[in-house]
Amino acid sequence: MVTKTEESQLKNLEIQVDNGGGGAWEYLSLIRKLKVRRSDKVLKHGLSILNDSKLRSNLGPEEWTLYEQVAVAAMDCQSLDVAQDCTKALRKRFPESKRVGRLEAMLLEAKGSWDMAEKAYTSLLEDNPLDQIIHKRRVAMAKAQGNISGAIEWLNKYLEIFMADHDAWRELAEIYLSLQMYKQAAFCYEEVILAQPTVPLYHLAYADVLYTLGGLENVQTAKKYYASTIDLTGGKNTRALFGICLCTSAIAQLTKGKNKEDKEGSQLQSLAAKALEKEYKQRAPDKLPQLTTALKSLTLSS
Amino acid sequence: MALAIIVGVLGSLILFHAAYSTIQYKSLLKITEEEFSSPPFNVVIELFVGLLLCFWAALTAPGKFLSIHPQSEENRIVSLPANLDFMIFNHRRKVFPLETDLKLKH
Repeated sequence: MVTKTEESQLKNLEIQVDNGGGGAWEYLSLIRKLKVRRSDKVLKHGLSILNDSKLRSNLGPEEWTLYEQVAVAAMDCQSLDVAQDCTKALRKRFPESKRVGRLEAMLLEAKGSWDMAEKAYTSLLEDNPLDQIIHKRRVAMAKAQGNISGAIEWLNKYLEIFMADHDAWRELAEIYLSLQMYKQAAFCYEEVILAQPTVPLYHLAYADVLYTLGGLENVQTAKKYYASTIDLTGGKNTRALFGICLCTSAIAQLTKGKNKEDKEGSQLQSLAAKALEKEYKQRAPDKLPQLTTALKSLTLSS
Repeated sequence: MALAIIVGVLGSLILFHAAYSTIQYKSLLKITEEEFSSPPFNVVIELFVGLLLCFWAALTAPGKFLSIHPQSEENRIVSLPANLDFMIFNHRRKVFPLETDLKLKH
């Protein structure tokens, strides 16, 4: 997870490295640690380290990690020559390695030779049928070919074996979302929240899905999850604040005439609206009128 | 930092002095053949002062405390990691290749 501190650290390092202030290796390590996708930067700065024999030998055994990182980044940037050279260097150093085999298969994937990549993955899986990353690569490959239903099928098969893999659940949720299959996506997000209950962004995504599904019960649950997002972020998540306002007005519309627990709802909404106004005043004062009209229309419609 | 270390040293010196006074008091009691019930009042005070100073030094010297709340400004999660295991290469970079002459040379 990328926290606020880590984000600002990464930003500072990025500026420093881009302006030639050194610290490229620290930057690349941080990218690996936070698992962010900055392929063009990794390619540029990683290669500048790899091409400098002195810097390279300073890294010691970490040199090979860098080769792998740069190879993947190069595939992502379609600089296939660089990717090939890096993979070759790794193959020379580790002739028997499965990990390099995986990298070679990924290179085939990047080239677009799907059949050969599929064959390579199959043979790698024969040696080690429980290699999670290779299973995931097959899912990604199906997705890259546009075969979304195939990807879902593979992913479901994978999740039957590795149920605790929350990243895979998240991926499945996102695929379902892209197909507008909200019920299934909601189920996946439930699994993700169970696995990592302290990550507010999962609560937020789940609430979004429930709100999109609609219906009184779903919207009420969505409101609760928006509230838990606010709790976990200390009220700094604007989307969750908006979510509370929207949910409250939706609930008011759905229960028109019945008027149960209306008081609590409107109190929560006014609190959220106040927090929103305060944040807009601080960070985007010129957008404040738009916000107030939007909030007004929400309360009027209820 | 330096202040905390000085205070810590002072605190432990006071503690040692309290121990020394207690031992001395006990040997004095042996001479007068009285029962030992508790150390004298001023030694107890000294003990507490030493303890407090040591506490303060131990809490200050190692550094600042970090927040453990998930909602605190430092720990607040702002973005999720890119799901790199499912990364696909069949995207728009294919149409707009990176126009550089980056090469691995050696």
